[in-house]
Amino acid sequence: MTFFRYIARRVLFTIPILLGITLVSFLIANAVPADPINVNLPQSQLNNPEIVAAFRAEWGLDKSPLDQYLTYLGNLVQGNLGRSIKTRQLVADDIARFLPATIELATNATVLGILLGVGLGVASAVWRNHWIDFLARTMAVIGVSVPVFVLALVFLSVFHAQLGIAAGPGRLDFTMDEPAMVTGLFTIDSLAAGRMDIFINAVAHLVLPSIVLALYVAGLISRVTRSAMLEVLGMDYMRTARAKGVREIIVIMRHGLSNAMIPILTVIGLSYGNLLAGAVLTESIFAWPGIGRYMFRASTSQDFPAIMGVSLLIALIYVVVNLVVDLLYYFVDPRLRAN
Amino acid sequence: MKKVRLLVLVLAIAVIATGITSAQDETVLVVGHAESTDSLDPARGYTQTKDIIDHVIYENLVTFPQADASEILPMLATDWAISEDGLSYTFNLASGPVFSDGSPITADDVVFSVNRLKYVQGSPSFLAADIAGVTADDEDTVTFTLSQPNPAFLANLANTAFGIVNADVVRENGGTDAEDAATTDTAETYLNSMSAGSGPYVLESWEPQVETVLVRNSNYTGDAPYFDRIIITNIPEAATQKVALESGEIDLALDLTSDQIVALEGNPEITIYRGPGNIVHFLLMNANPDVGGPMADPLVQKAVRLSLDYEGYVALWGGVQPGSVEFVGNAYAFTPEQGVQRNLDEARALLAEAGYADGFDVTLEYPIFTFQGVNMETNAQKIQADLAEVGINVTLSPAELQVALENYRTGAEGFGYWFWGPDVLDAVDMLAFAPGGKVAEERALWTTDMADPALNELVARARVATDPAEREEVFTGIQTMMQENSPFAPFLQPDVQTAFRADIEGYIWHPQWLLDLALLGRSM
Repeated sequence: MTFFRYIARRVLFTIPILLGITLVSFLIANAVPADPINVNLPQSQLNNPEIVAAFRAEWGLDKSPLDQYLTYLGNLVQGNLGRSIKTRQLVADDIARFLPATIELATNATVLGILLGVGLGVASAVWRNHWIDFLARTMAVIGVSVPVFVLALVFLSVFHAQLGIAAGPGRLDFTMDEPAMVTGLFTIDSLAAGRMDIFINAVAHLVLPSIVLALYVAGLISRVTRSAMLEVLGMDYMRTARAKGVREIIVIMRHGLSNAMIPILTVIGLSYGNLLAGAVLTESIFAWPGIGRYMFRASTSQDFPAIMGVSLLIALIYVVVNLVVDLLYYFVDPRLRAN
Repeated sequence: MKKVRLLVLVLAIAVIATGITSAQDETVLVVGHAESTDSLDPARGYTQTKDIIDHVIYENLVTFPQADASEILPMLATDWAISEDGLSYTFNLASGPVFSDGSPITADDVVFSVNRLKYVQGSPSFLAADIAGVTADDEDTVTFTLSQPNPAFLANLANTAFGIVNADVVRENGGTDAEDAATTDTAETYLNSMSAGSGPYVLESWEPQVETVLVRNSNYTGDAPYFDRIIITNIPEAATQKVALESGEIDLALDLTSDQIVALEGNPEITIYRGPGNIVHFLLMNANPDVGGPMADPLVQKAVRLSLDYEGYVALWGGVQPGSVEFVGNAYAFTPEQGVQRNLDEARALLAEAGYADGFDVTLEYPIFTFQGVNMETNAQKIQADLAEVGINVTLSPAELQVALENYRTGAEGFGYWFWGPDVLDAVDMLAFAPGGKVAEERALWTTDMADPALNELVARARVATDPAEREEVFTGIQTMMQENSPFAPFLQPDVQTAFRADIEGYIWHPQWLLDLALLGRSM
């Protein structure tokens, strides 16, 4: 029962957090010393006071900031995120259109990153100061420190343009039709439609951007895994397990890794949230129509409703991811269950 | 081991994927473009992306030639008559063309399209602002009445905003041309997903920020285009467009930077197009002696024009020497041959006559800016060298764009270097530089009372003249007089550059619609 009360409490806590986010992003958006009129209307129309006035009225820019904020909150309570100035579509529709692409990429990259990162981290802890350790640590440093857009461009020009062994930018070949929309995840929708060709194409297009993002994620995870494992490996219970004659692989994975899991989970949660919040550069370079690109476009055109909507979404993503991570702690660590 | 397996998997997938795409037999063109539009509705969008797309899905009453804006050609209208006072334009419609649903194009469709543009108050609606009324005289005759003479009216009609829509279809989908259309017209959603025009293509789908798909209009009455299907895919990063072009994934990259184009030179699979654009680089010499100093003297201004090494700038950047402040290719603009010829002896004589036989010192202000690949710093250094030959010692004073722009716009620059892109693809655009015009009056402080009365008279006529012969006469006169006496020295109209796969044919850059997709083809 405590478990459900715990969840309920966490969910309730998100409400003030989200409210705070709306206020902060509204204040920041309004503090920018530029008029959205200048970004969204061509010069010829700026000279026409009628068009300018109509634009202000249409987007509520003629009201006081307090009125604007209250109106926004009122709409928000009814589930209305407003209409984007730039795309003139409902922000909620825009998010629904762009988020699946990001989810698909971020999830793939994170899974790949976990496999790579945890593997490397465990290996480098077990073979500490061995060449394997140095290799793994070097890879981690490279993964974390090489700017992601450099990696993305190099990968695209080498593996796609020059060697021709990887699919290029976009979620599918440009000449290929998208599968009928069900979840917005092309890998799932193509299977649902029974279109194996689209599925293969979608997977092929996921390879390069996933690897680029996964290298970064793996770099983070392997470093944390290594230090957490090193701590655990020196524990008495490890010696006890070995003394009992448990096989070394079981000692490391079950007795070692599962006890080192808490900090690793934390990093995984953070980096997954990060990728979902928009891998702006990776999405731009791979022509990946995701939420990161949408957010970038919204912020450069001072598209307030879209900025607010995406900020809320990102806050929500972090809250959910953190909640999931906390729940996983609960399963990973028996001591938490006891309390 | 894991890596090797991954590589094999990637390879296998790539092979399969290639097999699938090459199995299609229709002709497909893939264009990589940084999409920049919020609407494909002719009456609402006002962006380059919209121009490229709407140019092939809608037709206008009149149009420009394939490569420039030098004249107005008939399109849906066969011919037109302009009233003596320039306030009334009557068009006769061609009888052949039909909309993509096969229904004929009538005068009612024209009236509906124009009124809808005027009343929806979309981004391009200002183009219709001086239309007082438009009426269908009969099935195939339309008359426009203007509230004031506007010699650029025909050029405006060639804008995609005046694309003629199928009135019945648009009405059925929520469209209206009533005066309250700004609030009651709901056809934009329809026009963003389907087209209702008569151009060579129809819109199959537009997924904003992802891709636009055009397919051949089977009812098109003009020359059939080569491609069955055109996919315009949104690639916001220029570097990604370059990679996709090199790999052959796209046929045409519309947004490459000039250094990326240079990097593609020598690649046998890529063709690079270069041709004069519509931007004119010019020097501004302030006509007010308090601001311009020696530069305010018309003799000095002419000496500067005679001192510039025009061929040298063209050698640096490609392009042509503009004959005047108006870009070569616009209606009535001087050709490069009609431009000022360098003559250092005459320049020195003029300086001596103005009292500067030993030259003088002056500061050249310009922004730290590279526009369409032309680095203004490089040109400023060349200007410095050119003018040194006649004894004018130029000190360079570069500034951040916003800072320099402020000085330029407030008329505080004595000697400045800027560039100009046309607002209207008509000769009247150059009147901004003539006495009474925006650039002349506010930035060069060159007022009508300082100018030759004969020039003022020509300018007054140019603002209202609609007869081609008269326009030819007045604009020739204005350009000739401004070569002799004006505070401007236009010196370069640089090339624009585009890269595409070597098997693509028919690419022509256009100052209005950028490129005509219907002219493109693929060699065997």
